[in-house]
Parts: sequence; C-alpha cells; structure tokens
Amino acid sequence: MENRLKEEAGKLLKEGKVDYIVGYGKGTVNLRTSPLITNKEEDLEGLVINPFIANNLSRYPVELKGRVGIVVKGCDSRSLTSLMQDKKVKREDLIIFGIPCEGVVDLKKLAGQIGAEIDRVTDAEKEGENLTLQVDGSKKTIPFRDVIFDKCYGCEHPTPLEYDVLLGSEVTPNLDIEKSLEKIKALDDMDTPERWDYWKEQFSKCIRCYGCRNVCPACFCERCFVDVNMPQWVATYATWQDNLTFQLIRTLHVAGRCSDCGECERACPVGIPLRSLQRKMVEEVKDLFGHEVGIDKDAPPVFSHYEATDPDEFMK
Amino acid sequence: MGYKKIKKDQLKTLFNELSKDCSLFVPSGSKGYVGFDPWDGNSADFTEWYGNTTIPPKALFFPPVEAMLRFRKGEAGYEIEELLPNGRPQIVFGVRPCDARALKITDILFSDTYRDPYYLKRRENATIVGLACNEPCDTCFCTSLDISPGESQDVDLLCTDIGDELLMEAVSDKGEDLLSKMSGLSDASGEEESKAKQLGESAKEKITRQIDTSGLLDKMRSSFENREYWEDVSRKCMSCGICTYVCPTCHCFDICDENNKKDGKRVRNWDSCKFPLFTRMPMENPRHEKWRRIRQRYHHKFEYFQMNFEAIACTGCGRCIRECPVNVDVTEIIGGIQAL
Ligand code: SF4
Ligand code: SF4
Ligand code: SF4
Ligand code: SF4
Repeated sequence: MENRLKEEAGKLLKEGKVDYIVGYGKGTVNLRTSPLITNKEEDLEGLVINPFIANNLSRYPVELKGRVGIVVKGCDSRSLTSLMQDKKVKREDLIIFGIPCEGVVDLKKLAGQIGAEIDRVTDAEKEGENLTLQVDGSKKTIPFRDVIFDKCYGCEHPTPLEYDVLLGSEVTPNLDIEKSLEKIKALDDMDTPERWDYWKEQFSKCIRCYGCRNVCPACFCERCFVDVNMPQWVATYATWQDNLTFQLIRTLHVAGRCSDCGECERACPVGIPLRSLQRKMVEEVKDLFGHEVGIDKDAPPVFSHYEATDPDEFMK
Repeated sequence: MGYKKIKKDQLKTLFNELSKDCSLFVPSGSKGYVGFDPWDGNSADFTEWYGNTTIPPKALFFPPVEAMLRFRKGEAGYEIEELLPNGRPQIVFGVRPCDARALKITDILFSDTYRDPYYLKRRENATIVGLACNEPCDTCFCTSLDISPGESQDVDLLCTDIGDELLMEAVSDKGEDLLSKMSGLSDASGEEESKAKQLGESAKEKITRQIDTSGLLDKMRSSFENREYWEDVSRKCMSCGICTYVCPTCHCFDICDENNKKDGKRVRNWDSCKFPLFTRMPMENPRHEKWRRIRQRYHHKFEYFQMNFEAIACTGCGRCIRECPVNVDVTEIIGGIQAL
C-alpha cells in the first residue's frame, strides 16, 4: 500500500497534476504519525500507512491553495464529502487516495491496556487480529480490536465512499454499535440533574485552547461565534458555563457535518469526552432527518434546505 | 541540614499534616488529565505513575482566568476594588526540575519593570517541592537547556525517589524551614545519597531528544526572513492554543471587562500568539498568515526572550510535542533552523 501511494503521489507531483500531497508521515513520538504535507517529491519517501494514522486530514485542502492529492480513511472521506457539499472544496481539485480501514489505535486505550505510558512502547505492528508491541524491550501481544477508537466499532463505511485510487481491497464493516455507543448510553441512562453535574464537571476543566474546534473539519467558519465580540456571545475566558455554551453551540453548528471522526476528543488536552456530544448529535440527525453525513457529494447539506417531511414537533 | 528521608507510605500522613495550615497541591490524574490538584486527603501514589503534568504548575500562579478588580459606578464616579490573591501559603509538591526552572523564567518577566502583584503574591507565598525524574518521558529534552532531571537549584526542597523512600534535600531557606516542620523524617545515609546521584546520572543518559543551542541566537535572527522555511514547518499546524497553554513558560494574556450596566469586573485570561485573533482587541494582529504566527512563537522563545532577559523561554519539558494534535515538534523546528 505504502509503495503504491508513494509511486502514485510522486507521479502526481511530477506531472503537475497536484500542488500538494497531504498524507501521513512518521511522527516524532513513539507510535504516533503526523500529517505530511508537501510539494516536494523527495519528501514522499516519508509517507506511511499503518494503524496509527489518527489525524483527519480533510481540513487541509480548504486551507491550501491549489490542487491536492489527499489520503483519507473511511470517516475522513465522509468529512471531505461534507466539505464538498458545503462548497469548501471542489471535487475536481482533489485526487483522493482511499484507505480501506480496519480501525485506528487509540493511544490512550493502549496505554491503559498495557498499564504503562506510551513512552515505553518502542514498536508496534498489526499482525492479523493482534497488535504486537515492544514494551520496555519485551514483546507483548494484545487483541487489536481492544485498543481501537470507540468510533471505529460503529463505523459503517470503513472503505472510503469517494476516491480516485483505492489503496488495498475493500473492508467489510465489523460493527459493534453497542460498544461504540457505550459512553453515550451511560449518559442517556442518567437522570437530568446527574447528567448536568457530569457535564458541569467536565467543562470546568476546559481551558479554551480551541484545539477541538481547530482540528475539526466541520468547523470552517471564517470567524467563529466565540471570537465575535460585538455583540459578545460567550465570555472569552474559561468559565464552565461559557465553556459548555461554546461546546453546545459548536455541536449544533457541526450537526449534519460531523462524520464522527473523533478528532475533537482526541485533541482535547484535558480529556473532555467530546465525542459523547458529537456522536449523540450524529444519532439525532439520523433519527430526525434520516441524514447520514458525507454519503452523497451532490446532495445539498441537510440544514441548508427544507423538505416538507422535515420534523417540526418543536413548533407545536 | 543534610539529607533526610521519608517512607513513601508515610506521605499521606505528611500531606494531611502539611495541608492543615496551607494549600497543598499534588499531581493528580483524577480528572482525566494530569494536573496539580488540591490534596484530596487520599491519593499519595503519584510517585508510582507520574511522568509530568499536562497542565504545568504555572497555572497555580498565573491561572487560566483571574479577576483582577471589580468596579462599581457610584455617586462620585467609579469605585474600584482590587482583587488580590488571599495570601494563604501554598505548597506545591512534586514539581519537575524543568517546571521549577520555568517558574524562575516567568519570575523574570512578571517582576520586570511592571511587577505583577497577582503572580508575585502567589509566588512569595509558595514553597516548591521538587521531584527528580528517574524515568524521563520520551518527549523530554531538558538536558539541552542546562537542566538536569536529577537535580535542581530552582526548587525550595528536592525529593528523589530511591525506592521505598523519598530522599529530601533543602535547597533554599524556605525549603529548610519546611523540612524542619515535617515529621516522620529520618536521616539519610551516605549510601542513599549516592544512590540518588546515580539515579540522576542514569536519568540524564535516558534522554535522547535534544536541541543544539550553540550559536542559536544568530541562527534564529537569520531565519527570520526565510519565509519558505516557516511556511514548510507551519503547514500542518491547526492554529490552536494547546502548545501555548501547556507550555510552562508561555505567559501571554488578554484582558477584558465584563460590564453589567452599573458594575463589573476586569478579568485576564490566557491568550496565544497561535490564534489569528491575537492582539486584535487593542490594535490588529500583524501576523495574518499562519507561518508568521508560528515563527513568532519560536522567535519569542529562542530569540526575543533571550535578548531581553538572557534566558531561553523553553525548558525542554516536551509538553508541546506531546500534546500537539498534529505533532509539531519544537526540536525539529530548532534542528531545522540550525541546519539552514
Ligand atoms: S471510524 Fe472507520 S474509517 Fe474512521 S478510523 Fe475508525 S474504522 Fe477507520
Ligand atoms: S479542546 Fe478541550 S480544553 Fe480545549 S477548548 Fe476544546 S473542550 Fe476546551
Ligand atoms: S503547533 Fe500544534 S498545538 Fe500548537 S497551535 Fe499548532 S496544532 Fe496547535
Ligand atoms: S516550548 Fe515546549 S518544550 Fe519548551 S518549555 Fe514550552 S512546552 Fe516545554
């Protein structure tokens, strides 16, 4: 897969068919990968594809000027399609390399599983159903599916729906919806005051670094409402009330655009379970509007048009 | 006073005692990230699992949000009430050598021509108890910045984990004073002393990440106009505030007034040069493009701060590398500048 990607990406740059290649390179921290964005052919040797390609790269073509060759997993491809629907990127400006995806490793889960910081893991390789690790110099094997992101258990489109080149053969979904929605179910089961206290505690931690917003491909407003100060919608400084308000409004703004890529939660430095809000919204949009994000690039965005059958209970 | 020691299973008793007449902060992971939390009377086991905190101790002295004053419109104009910290003594237990140095660095800034009463009052009332690193993280590069994982002159009291016990050495008068107040201590042997030294030496060797600071000031200067370099290294950055907010030396803030017709308060909060809206309020952000903002962060740390205060505003704690969602790595950026 990797070699094919390097070869095809090299051709695109050489023939001037794209201005940039956006893929994954080796990270500078154990196990991690990092976005590799380049217009130089010699950098392409660094491209990697492995079970640690966590970043959703679909945000980059919006910012880069010109044509882009981009690597996407299933969830990322739906973000990209959603951006096409919102006219933030044009399909004809993209060459899409699709990765049929079996899931990506959640490094926090992995650390929990091995009971040690990720720093101790010097090497990891997926071998069949297992992940083989080198921890403090000794070999350790754990089931791969025990350490993938929660979103991956609920992934119905692990093979990108929109691509020019598919790197590998299609993957059939391996669903465990219950597991994917476990945390959300636990929140649903709480009574309202309990749930309120839970979120109050979570958002007391927020430091307003805007990591969640800035990594999110669905957060593309030129000026976010939190940065508007005439009038001011929420305080610029962190209080739990304003932090919660910020995140709830963000949740509404990305409704119908969020592909459950989980980047917000992964980015949050203080460990707020943001996916529990975002994924819940994905469910709501599905239930109310029968809309699944990023399926049809030619369909209008769900909230920018009206259907006679749209639910209107709230108007009663 | 010489070296003292305490059994780790006695820490809980010690902490309960210390917290009677001061605020005691210890590393805790109870909130889903590691930070310095008020002692909860219970979990003193951080020596067993703790590398470093995600949020640095600067947050205890320069909090993310702080009300500076309250104002009220009265008959004869505005009445202003200054809201200074309450002056309660604080002990911060378990500060790593890099972060202790970072506090010395922010001290320089906050006690310059403008002496910041909020920060300084908290600093005066605080005793910093350091904890040497036996197992540095993969992201650490403090040794490149003249910091040793196993020793520190920047703390008041330094602890070293020698197995079942913590070895303690007073570094300052404050530390001496604290040590004399602690119960449950016994004298450490020369053997234990040299064990601590050994652990420090081996910790040093475990650190492989590095930057080269020799001739860096000139290199930084000449990199300023190298637009291509800065564009290349900034392309993947998401312009968030994570690296700034987790950095123990970053100190920029914004100030805003919250006004409710007749009264209100003036609040300051952390701010970051990575944000496109940075400094838009008083004026304009001269750094519209992302590469200019990235350049600013590294130039501030490795050039301007050094010119103004003769210190590099980075301690090699590695938090920015660890927490950045796209793995922008300061050691790569500085390495790249040295190679230009
Ligand atoms: S959600 Fe699907 S496509 Fe995305 S990382 Fe998980 S398995 Fe892969
Ligand atoms: S990433 Fe986390 S801490 Fe940062 S603004 Fe978002 S919710 Fe708050
Ligand atoms: S370097 Fe990383 S942490 Fe810093 S602003 Fe850029 S994306 Fe955010
Ligand atoms: S720049 Fe990075 S490594 Fe240096 S002190 Fe700040 S967070 Fe630590």
